[in-house]
Amino acid sequence: MKNYLKLTNFELSRFFKLYVVLIGLTLVMQTVGIIWMSNTYMGSVEGLLLEGNTAELIKMNLGTFSFSTLTTSLLFSGPIIICIASLLIYVFLIWYRDWFGKNTFVYRLFMLPTARMNLFFAKATSIFLMVLGLVSLQLVFILIESQIAKLIVPTTYMESQNLNQIINGFDYMRVLYPTTLIEFLINYGIGFMAVFVIFTGILFERSFRLKGILFGILFAGISLFVFISPILLQVTILEGFFYPVELFILMVITGLIVIAGSVWISNYLLNKKIRV
Amino acid sequence: MIEVKDITKRFGRKKILNGVSFTANKGEITCLIGINGVGKTTILNAIMNLTPINRGEILIDGEKIRKESYERITFIPDAITMLPSMKISDAMQFMADFYQSWNQKRADEMIEFFKLDKNDRLSTLSKGNSAKVNMLLGLALDVDYLLMDEPFSGIDIFSREQIADVFTSHLVENRSVIITTHEISDIEHLIDKAVLLNDGVVLREFNAEEVRENEGKSIIDVMREVYQP
Amino acid sequence: MNIKLNSREPVYIQVIRYFKEQIAKGVFEPGQEISSRRELANKLKINPNTAQRAYKEMEEQGLIFTEGNLPSRITKNEMIIKQVREELILEAVSTFIVAVQSINVPLEEAINLVKKKYEENPNEQEGNR
Repeated sequence: MKNYLKLTNFELSRFFKLYVVLIGLTLVMQTVGIIWMSNTYMGSVEGLLLEGNTAELIKMNLGTFSFSTLTTSLLFSGPIIICIASLLIYVFLIWYRDWFGKNTFVYRLFMLPTARMNLFFAKATSIFLMVLGLVSLQLVFILIESQIAKLIVPTTYMESQNLNQIINGFDYMRVLYPTTLIEFLINYGIGFMAVFVIFTGILFERSFRLKGILFGILFAGISLFVFISPILLQVTILEGFFYPVELFILMVITGLIVIAGSVWISNYLLNKKIRV
Repeated sequence: MIEVKDITKRFGRKKILNGVSFTANKGEITCLIGINGVGKTTILNAIMNLTPINRGEILIDGEKIRKESYERITFIPDAITMLPSMKISDAMQFMADFYQSWNQKRADEMIEFFKLDKNDRLSTLSKGNSAKVNMLLGLALDVDYLLMDEPFSGIDIFSREQIADVFTSHLVENRSVIITTHEISDIEHLIDKAVLLNDGVVLREFNAEEVRENEGKSIIDVMREVYQP
Repeated sequence: MNIKLNSREPVYIQVIRYFKEQIAKGVFEPGQEISSRRELANKLKINPNTAQRAYKEMEEQGLIFTEGNLPSRITKNEMIIKQVREELILEAVSTFIVAVQSINVPLEEAINLVKKKYEENPNEQEGNR
């Protein structure tokens, strides 16, 4: 347990610099975005005011300033996409970087007097924490950015929106910001399971190299099949036999089976098949 | 005692090891010798469970390797196995964090002995100093068994001398060592046992003093007989 | 301490011979403390187990002795020291004779030459340069 925590801490610190860069990039791009957009909006408003329009008229023609103007722009979603892409790549890199270079760190990691599965769990935990960290920082950023907007755009022209409304106004964000605990467990549970399956796939490749890629893809395919098998049953043979709650419980079970399978196989590969 | 029993290792269709057996006795320095690329490193990797073997068995004091074994046996590969961005002190801290057998006093002593600066980054070290840090990280563990892969290759003569000094110092006292080399002359008088390998098999395994005493031959004489019959 | 090792002869025997020479020359005096096995191995760059073996043999031959946990010492036994000296002289003489006989030098001539050369080289007599 102590070693698992140490390894997790170590993995986090290894990604920290890049992580800070990602956070900085997000904050800067989004802030620039909100300032630029608020100013553009106010520029139009002032132009219309000079032409002698009333505020009421302007609001009717131009619309109020909504935070969604930002969230639907590339300056807002761009950095989020970059963050997501980086983390997705890092899911692979978090393993492969240990094999890179002349100083292959994986020698050291595999010779630690601790269960090798701790490496697996530490890496998975790191990914998970980094996702959660970015997701929660984004919330903070939205709050900051909406305050900035309020500084530039007078309240008269502001469309009042709380955090919930901002998030709901933005499609793919809703996956990252579930509103109920169950939804949270489902979304992040599936994400976690996917990370486990990918990790196992990577370990297959690291164990058997070229042939391993095939095994990895096969494993991922089987995992997906097992996980969605209740749905497959529902829409084919059983034709809507399950209640939604039953389907949900079944998928929790198949999800757990996939996670257990992934852990078991990874443990086997790490102890019996992996090579430096 | 480390017992390597009839191990076979294939990479694809190529057999790197083909039934290798030898023992490394406690308190002795055993040297795996091969002209080149004969699977010496693979043997060390296999002992440390860093690569799976296709057949055979390796026992350390009669037991298969477990996670606890890494407190009793360590491997010094031919390059530092730490992150290049680390300082020497970071690498030492990493070891101290994970190994109970880490001996900080001995590590500091070796920093002195090798005249290293703890604040140097691993990526900036010369080849010689890099090899010394590599040695240090392994030797500062209070382990019974030390495996070293080509500790003398590719470094300057003075670093070689310093590293050779390590073998006769208290740093290796009461420890069993398995070392690989393709260049025996540096350590001819340092080793107890020589294991001559070629094409994935052990051609001969002998005690150096016994061969000198009974046959009046040097290690190199025996190598000449074995490799160039 | 400097010794050039022959790689075809057991190292422990070479170490013992080195000690005998030092004792015969008087460099190692009777009762003098000697290096530990570890120090010796380090100085000569030899395997510590070999140094250990050399010490064990020397102990058995009475060349050195150890009391309790104290460092080993050179023997104080005059007889043994004399024996060592004689043994070395005899060895050197035998080697000399073999060499000289192989080129058919008469004894008389050899002895005269030995005398002459020996006196030309007086500082060698003490043996310790």
